[in-house]
Amino acid sequence: MTDFAISLENVSKSYRLWGRRSQFATLKSALLKRDLKLSPEQSVPALKDVSFAVDRGEAFGVIGRNGSGKSTLLKIISGILKPSGGKMIVNGRIAALIELGAGFHPEITGRENIYINGIMLGLSRRDIDERFDRIVEFSGIGDFLDQPVKTYSSGMYVRLGFAVAVHVDPDILLIDEVLAVGDEEFSARCIAKIQEMKLRGVTLVFVTHQLDQVRNLCDRAVWLDHGLVEAIGDPMRVVDSYLQEVSGAASSQLAEEDDRRAESPPLHEPRSDAADEERWGSGEILLKHVALTDSHGRELVAIGAGTPVTVDIDVEVRAPQEDFVFGLGIYHADGSCVYGTNTDVEGYAPQLLDANARIRFVVPSLDLVAGTYRIDAAVHTRNGRAFDYRRNVIRFIVGSRVHDVGVYRPKHEWRFEGGVTFKSIDTLRQNVPAQIAEAMREVEKPKRKK
Amino acid sequence: MSDLSTILRHRQLIAALTARDLKARYRGSILGYFWSLANPLLLLAVYTLVFTKFFPQQVVTPYPLFLFSGILPWTFFAAAVLESTSSISSNAGLIKKVMFPAEALPIVVVLSHLVHFALAIPILLAAIGVFAALGKFTISATILFAPLLMLLQTLFVAGVALTVSSASVLFRDLRDIITNLMQLGFFVTPIIYLIDAVQSRVLRALLRMNPMTPFVVAYQDIFFFGRLPGTSDIVLILAYSVGSLLLGFFVFERLRDTLAEAI
Repeated sequence: MTDFAISLENVSKSYRLWGRRSQFATLKSALLKRDLKLSPEQSVPALKDVSFAVDRGEAFGVIGRNGSGKSTLLKIISGILKPSGGKMIVNGRIAALIELGAGFHPEITGRENIYINGIMLGLSRRDIDERFDRIVEFSGIGDFLDQPVKTYSSGMYVRLGFAVAVHVDPDILLIDEVLAVGDEEFSARCIAKIQEMKLRGVTLVFVTHQLDQVRNLCDRAVWLDHGLVEAIGDPMRVVDSYLQEVSGAASSQLAEEDDRRAESPPLHEPRSDAADEERWGSGEILLKHVALTDSHGRELVAIGAGTPVTVDIDVEVRAPQEDFVFGLGIYHADGSCVYGTNTDVEGYAPQLLDANARIRFVVPSLDLVAGTYRIDAAVHTRNGRAFDYRRNVIRFIVGSRVHDVGVYRPKHEWRFEGGVTFKSIDTLRQNVPAQIAEAMREVEKPKRKK
Repeated sequence: MSDLSTILRHRQLIAALTARDLKARYRGSILGYFWSLANPLLLLAVYTLVFTKFFPQQVVTPYPLFLFSGILPWTFFAAAVLESTSSISSNAGLIKKVMFPAEALPIVVVLSHLVHFALAIPILLAAIGVFAALGKFTISATILFAPLLMLLQTLFVAGVALTVSSASVLFRDLRDIITNLMQLGFFVTPIIYLIDAVQSRVLRALLRMNPMTPFVVAYQDIFFFGRLPGTSDIVLILAYSVGSLLLGFFVFERLRDTLAEAI
């Protein structure tokens, strides 16, 4: 039993350039020039001696500038391209999200395309029958199911493509920038779905420019530059060195500033965070690490509505304090404040903070509506002087099956008395956390089949 | 032979794509599948007119039946091969973006044209029935060999389709070359004339070198003349079917890895 999902040994790939004058040889010219050799004149290396292994169940990020060989790497792993040299072993069924809906035929209906696309991705007809309802529900295409795909909006097209691809139940999921498409709500659902697949032990390989996704979702990451592995390992470290390199190349002045920051300790440690994070304060107390975690202590970026979450704050004390307040604010993506509180307003009178500590803000049920949210974390004196204020330190996404609106979803249920009847009630749409809903779905499956 | 196992492994996919191809082609058209008959029927009308009215000759009678039994297998061959030249490049998205068995594409083209061919057979049979009812023709049991002959021809066409579909990704003008060759091919295959009626021995020998000749002659034998094909034709048919398929697999295997890049 091997414990890796993907293993690459000295894999390299060169693209061939076919002739200088015309990109494509023609048979006529080949015959006229008596030159039927199928060897290219030149080749361009896209990957050079790339070696790494991805363990089963690992989430592996691939970052790098445009043209660094990221997509080539993904296409080689998926088997679309053959490596020019080296050895690659893949254990398990692969699904590649390289272009969503690539196999759709515009003239036939969504229903027929689901079947064809599913078969293309390696499912049998019976497999698709089983998954059909889930695919349709996830895609949210509704009444358009029996319309030709050419009538779909591009959003519907992509949603249907994603829905089919993730329901293949792959052992390994390759994702190439596809999460950048679609609206906020849909990409939240995509990320929630991917997180769910990760929990089920699916191996993930991500190609992305969204570095916070790499930091938050990935267990390890690789940084490719001009086809070479520049760094590999802990995603924080890899993203950091990538960012430094990128900003260094962009402006040497910035790099100098970075150095100065690194030398003057109080605040800006080299850990640069999402671009929109701001941080200020006098630095006697530092919020070293702020993370959103689940009940097992795993860091989250996507959360099912109504699930329990904790904000974990690692506090570093550089000078003991007797006057301190810890505070948190949750903001909607549009900037409006959803909730804010601190230890002072809730009656915690401070006495002494003289050693490193860990603060936990425990929320038994995160009753928010689907969307993107940000968190500010701060530690300050009671009159508001900040030791360390970290604005937008966490960005997270709430996913939900229910398409309700607003920000806050109070715990609720509907009760009916008198002459009210419903034809059917889709229990899956009621307010239950994603994982529980999934479990309910498993249980209900036999019932749903005729 | 990895292609063969790939094709067998993906038979569900190939079946589904063939059905999709047929559905997509006829959706939104008034005449539906009769479109696939329009071309052979038109040819039939033109050549019947030319050879029975304009230049009446001592050809076989009833001439339309003779012509029909040769035109149908030719149309299957010509249309499938021609369309397969663009089967891979017109599905570039599948080859570049999805893990997709490229050999399925020409095979799907061949199968969907085989369906057109098979749907035309009842019309040929009806024509035969009409002439027989008029007392101008006697039906023979050799017609029952048609499915076997169609199977062998399908193998032959599939081999050619695999070859030209992959080669035309590298050689963009192959499609134009094949378009022209097909027009020539129609006349150097004994479809509108009887091969035995050709005077020159040399010319007859040359005509026999055309791989489609034994197939068309065999169709004429079983549908029109009511006899079994000659031994030499049978041997050639088997040889061409197997040989073409092997060549197709060989070429496709050689070019497969370059497809996703060169497309």
